Amino acid sequence: MNGEMRHHAEALEQELKQGEISLGTTIIAASFEGGVVLGADSRTSNGNYVANRVTDKLTQLTDRVFVCRSGSAADTQNLSMYVQHFLHQHSMELDTFVSVKTAARLATQLTYQNKNMLQAGLIVAGWDQEEGGSVYAVPLGGTLVKVPFSLGGSGSAYIYGWCDKNWRPSMTADDCRRFVHTAVSHAMARDGSSGGCIRTVTITKDGCKRTFTPGSEVPLHHGELQGAARTMQVSA
Amino acid sequence: MLARPPSHSPALGPGCAGPPLAEASSVSIQYPAQPTAQVPTCGAASFLVDHNAVNAPGRDPSQHTQMPYVTGSSVLALTFKDGVMLASDTLGSYGSTKRYKSFERIRKVNDRTVLGASGELSDFQYIMNLLDELTTDDFCEDDGGMLSPREIWSYLCRVLYNRRNKQDPLWNSLVIGGIEHGKPFLGTVGMIGTHYTDDHIATGFGNMLARPLFREKHSPDMSEADAEALIHEALKVCYYRDKQSINKFQLAKITEAGVSVSEPFALPTRWDYKHFENPSANAVGTW
Amino acid sequence: MSGIGTGYDLSVSTFSPDGRVFQTDYAQKAVDIGGTVIGLRCNDGVVLGCEKTVVSKMLEEGSNKRTFAVDRHAGLAIAGLSADGRQVVNRAKSEASNYLSFYGDKIPGHLLSERIASFVHVFNLYWYARPFGTSVMLATMDRAGPQLYVIDPSGTAYRYFGAAVGKGRQGARTTIERLKLEQLSCADGVKEIAKILHQVHEEEKPFELELSWICEASGNEFRRVPADVVAEADRLAKAALDESDMDDD
Repeated sequence: MNGEMRHHAEALEQELKQGEISLGTTIIAASFEGGVVLGADSRTSNGNYVANRVTDKLTQLTDRVFVCRSGSAADTQNLSMYVQHFLHQHSMELDTFVSVKTAARLATQLTYQNKNMLQAGLIVAGWDQEEGGSVYAVPLGGTLVKVPFSLGGSGSAYIYGWCDKNWRPSMTADDCRRFVHTAVSHAMARDGSSGGCIRTVTITKDGCKRTFTPGSEVPLHHGELQGAARTMQVSA
Repeated sequence: MLARPPSHSPALGPGCAGPPLAEASSVSIQYPAQPTAQVPTCGAASFLVDHNAVNAPGRDPSQHTQMPYVTGSSVLALTFKDGVMLASDTLGSYGSTKRYKSFERIRKVNDRTVLGASGELSDFQYIMNLLDELTTDDFCEDDGGMLSPREIWSYLCRVLYNRRNKQDPLWNSLVIGGIEHGKPFLGTVGMIGTHYTDDHIATGFGNMLARPLFREKHSPDMSEADAEALIHEALKVCYYRDKQSINKFQLAKITEAGVSVSEPFALPTRWDYKHFENPSANAVGTW
Repeated sequence: MSGIGTGYDLSVSTFSPDGRVFQTDYAQKAVDIGGTVIGLRCNDGVVLGCEKTVVSKMLEEGSNKRTFAVDRHAGLAIAGLSADGRQVVNRAKSEASNYLSFYGDKIPGHLLSERIASFVHVFNLYWYARPFGTSVMLATMDRAGPQLYVIDPSGTAYRYFGAAVGKGRQGARTTIERLKLEQLSCADGVKEIAKILHQVHEEEKPFELELSWICEASGNEFRRVPADVVAEADRLAKAALDESDMDDD
């Protein structure tokens, strides 16, 4: 590549990066006795424009493992697809479920080895035979940290305090789902880059269960009003 | 199974995954090999760097230096009469967010060596993987032999220096402590390959906060209890004055008897000095 | 061997008219004439034992190793040509290490055996290659518990409760079949293997016992059986042999 062409390519790259579609995001995963719950908002923005208001940031990797995605939508989508591919290949040669640890390891390696090129903060969580429910955080540089619960995305900054206070080690699946749901709703209430609906997935040995809370039914917090449309619906 | 390139490519040097052998490329045919002063004339073949592999055609020769994301702060270490002591807190910071509060930054390498790390923690995990491979190799030999602390230190010096020569440094300051021939060994390596051994070492902020204390109070023949008291005091100072630190520490000891890494513990701190509550009371006009 | 002198035996790339690859058979033959190697999957682990004929009085004790750890949870015993065997050991080591580095977990026994088998098999496919003159026994401990595999020169891998290859395999197998392996502990397995190896050993030349195991006693890691345990097993085996000799007389 000659000097001029390279210069042009770099300029183009800069331009593309700036216009990149990003998952402003609040994501969270928490473990409980016998499983995990993952949760996320549904906003994807391009600058100040909400490019997608019903995004699904909880992506299934295997039967019992999901990943929460934050950062660049393009990067994390493709990362997830690579991990899905490797895990699928691997599950065919294994006689058991692929472990959450292995899913997390693949995600970290991809993130770590391409850290210069990727903008991806992931949380890999799920259930397996050895560890039960487990949560692995894979932040920007590709560090791999096993944690009881993990927050990610721009919205997480607003709810660390609340989560530190309210997370308990042995919650029931229901309590854990409520914890995740409330945490995301609080982040959405203060973070402009998070919003829309709340999605959760509960993973136990018996399988995965999704919930969906439409934007009109997200709990209201300080300074917010109930939307008129919903009251009308109720009265009608 | 996908082939993993060996951790140490003979073509690229230690710490770089890559081709196993120098590959003849059109570049080397067009430009015949020049007399290269930096290539050793004998020995050390495995550390010989093939410049064709580094500047392979079509590959961008300069990689952008990354910035650290998840980082650890100071590691403190000192020798004492019977061995070496290392200590650090267990924080993994994310910028100024105290994100991971139970990250073990001091790890056992083998039965006589411990590694402590500050800086980028993903790079530390990578380095630990390299060392675990070496330790497993030692295990497979099954002759009771293992790498000595100095060997591990030398190895890490090569890895970190080689990576900085690729414009792709491992963003760490490492501290290696252990016992060798019955004597304590304590060494450090920085992200650009700077290295030295000493009787007491501190990385990062600790170099400013803890080293002065060590210089004043440390002696190589001090008892284990005295050494522990000194390192506690230094940890406390680091906690008071380093923003990126928490009151949750681990202490590793390496003696002839073996390696122990403590469970995380907290140190008592003092905030009840009389003038703390109203600092301006005795200095009117101040804040 | 029927193939000798009938042609079709110069390369692994040609089948004989009756469907054999003679080079592969000959490689198996190289294993069959080597020292006996026995593996037992006991109820708490796996024991591998080798009969190492002492070829010279000047040989250092413990030289010519035949059992090798390839990871913390897996090890091999090599029968037949030990130089060929070491090649397999090296490959097994890198397979184990690669797997760990890629998937972040230790390689399960059945995958390691598959991968060793694929490696060995490749040497039965090309005219310029020679099959390994070695059968390897693989002992592993993973989620599925203790497992024993045998991979032969053709690249076939089978999982066994108990197995024997090498010179004394016939006699050894008969004895192993009579053992109640699901009630046998590794500590007893060591003694049984010593006994069998003494039994099937052909008189004149002395031999050295090499035993390795993976069980609770070895910290669930593949290690040499401690020297004193081997010595005790050796002593018991010799005593049992003397006793049966006297019965015979």
